[in-house]
Amino acid sequence: MSTVAERVSARFASARNDAGLLQAGLHVEEVCALAYAAAAEGSLRGAARAEAERFAEHERRHAKAYATMLYALTVPVREHARAQDLEALLPGLAEAGEREALRRLEELEEAAIAGQRLMARRLRAREVLRTVAAVMAGGAQHLVVLRRRLGQSPPTKAFETGA
Amino acid sequence: MVRLSRREFVGAAGTLVLAAGCGSEAARTPEPSDAEVLDALLARELAVPALSAPAAAALLAHQDAQHARRLRRALRALGAIPPPGAPPPGDDPELVLARKQEMVFACLDALPRLRAPGLRELVMGLAASEAEHLAELRAALGREPVPDAFAGDTERA
Repeated sequence: MSTVAERVSARFASARNDAGLLQAGLHVEEVCALAYAAAAEGSLRGAARAEAERFAEHERRHAKAYATMLYALTVPVREHARAQDLEALLPGLAEAGEREALRRLEELEEAAIAGQRLMARRLRAREVLRTVAAVMAGGAQHLVVLRRRLGQSPPTKAFETGA
Repeated sequence: MVRLSRREFVGAAGTLVLAAGCGSEAARTPEPSDAEVLDALLARELAVPALSAPAAAALLAHQDAQHARRLRRALRALGAIPPPGAPPPGDDPELVLARKQEMVFACLDALPRLRAPGLRELVMGLAASEAEHLAELRAALGREPVPDAFAGDTERA
């Protein structure tokens, strides 16, 4: 298991209740948004850069969906991921070469999906699972684009677990 | 910084309250069993035609067969008898895209209804795979693979 996967997994695993799980999900999506933005400003060029910019916006929408779920559970959102959180999870992403940047983004998306699967097992408020799954499905589609850019075959899995 | 409009907040809260069974209709309607939920998903899975082209379609059809196998195995484990059958062959990518989009929605709808945590994990993996298939098929057809943030659920809402 990669360091990224371990750290993201630990964040979800340490959550003690639904609010904690959703806060973990919010944090990871915010880091994803920062990661795509950093990659777009870094080594990515042309179509890959344009995709990263679009995916950064998708991730911001995913984060907003998590924030909405937390508000609905009357849990205030006081903390947001910052540049140092991205640097702690994916150090040097902005300076990484194109292939390395894409590979790290893939790792991060997979780690997010693994965390969301854990949420499916542990969330007590099952009604929010639909939104969590919609976010996860969006992330899975990002993975296909990243894997295609990396030349990986196949770019899809019969059961995407993020592992 | 994430900001929510009042409308978004009220909408989300209302959804939670209704889904929690506070609505009188919801309280009277019996929840389907896990087997019934999975049976409906299998029926949808078997309704996705198996394309032979473009080249990527063969892989997707193979993975769809794996979906059906896993759903049947889960149904048997619940003591149910899964229906026989296989996806029909097809040559219309538009129909496959439409059916796969419906399958993604069906998985999203099924998740809150499933009681067994392991089955929820199974359906999460299935939903992600079907969303990936949509992106892969669109890319193979020369289209934008990820047109929205929520695998089509944005437009549905």
